[in-house]
Amino acid sequence: MKTLYVEGNTLLHRLSARVKLAALAMASMLLFVADSPVLLAPAAIAAAALYGTLGLGWRNSWQRLRAILLTIVIVSAFMLVINDPGAAATGFFRLTALAFFAATITATTSTGDFIATISSAARPLERTGLGRAADIGLAIGLVIRFVPDVLGRYQAIRDAHRARGLKPSALTLGVPLIILTLRNADEIAAAIDARGIRGQNWDKDQR
Amino acid sequence: MSTRDLVLAALFAAIIVALGLVPPIILGFIPVPITAQSLGVMLAGVVLGAKRGGFAVLLVLVLVAIGLPVLSGGRGGLATFASPTAGYLVGWFFAAVVAGYLSERFVDRSQSGIVQITGFFLAALLGGVVVDHGLGIIWLAFGTGTGLSTAFLGDLAFVPGDVLKAMIAALAGRAVMVGYPLLPQRV
Repeated sequence: MKTLYVEGNTLLHRLSARVKLAALAMASMLLFVADSPVLLAPAAIAAAALYGTLGLGWRNSWQRLRAILLTIVIVSAFMLVINDPGAAATGFFRLTALAFFAATITATTSTGDFIATISSAARPLERTGLGRAADIGLAIGLVIRFVPDVLGRYQAIRDAHRARGLKPSALTLGVPLIILTLRNADEIAAAIDARGIRGQNWDKDQR
Repeated sequence: MSTRDLVLAALFAAIIVALGLVPPIILGFIPVPITAQSLGVMLAGVVLGAKRGGFAVLLVLVLVAIGLPVLSGGRGGLATFASPTAGYLVGWFFAAVVAGYLSERFVDRSQSGIVQITGFFLAALLGGVVVDHGLGIIWLAFGTGTGLSTAFLGDLAFVPGDVLKAMIAALAGRAVMVGYPLLPQRV
């Protein structure tokens, strides 16, 4: 799976993920307090300019932002017809600014940095007994590891349908896919515990 | 959470991600392709219950946030949460938790098939349609300023498809329960 992170050594790359996420939270609050297109339009242009300094190129940027920018345009056009032009412009510039800021952080922060930040932010949760911060990284690794397996199984089930001349449907594809995938859980869990990845006696203490 | 629960949630998250990569499925009786990912969210709750199903969906959202293009059409990254439709995405988590909790409440292994399917359908409907669309509408209305009535009107177009998905989730949930029961039982 290809991440949306882009290698680089700009100032934004060197800033810690924690600082960037705090800045994004701050920016989004300011964008929601500012309620006029006069303030929000320059903010959107500034955000787009910041994104532009990354030098990702037009084609790459369009691919990354196509879905969200189209949604913003459609919703704004809808508002232009139903509400008033002022509200449409406010919504358009606010969300565009937010999208560019967020996309900038996504492009300059590696998944490893993100996981480290999330894990350290989740550490206080350990005291509540909900789970362990280190489990987040483990679970993310497991998901990425098993997506290709699930896809392979999906193709095998679909091919089995074709071989029998059956039409694949959501039910006849989905049910075997779920059962075959989840049936591996016991073996995978045993393999994780056998390696002591989650620490000793965790299960006995917490169950 | 035991290691097995953690692995079950991670495996289901992988299923939801994979459902975004496969071509849309055409239903036999209606000629409209459906995106399978939101069906996967309902199924997470219906099959795994509130806690593990909710964790599975949370994992998918974390993957989106850390910049992996795991949503259908290769969407991902923090900007996804700035979209006018981000409420539906965040709503997935609550949809899975509510569908899971209600499934645990409504469905019992000793019930007859039709009662189980009805229970799963109501759980998937309340979680996947009422809760998810409710949050989607609220974010659309206040995040973009469209106003509640406009947002509600725009939302209605997507209700029939998701009701249909709740039906599929109910049938699939019951079939999985028969083949490989995982849903925690609440007494």
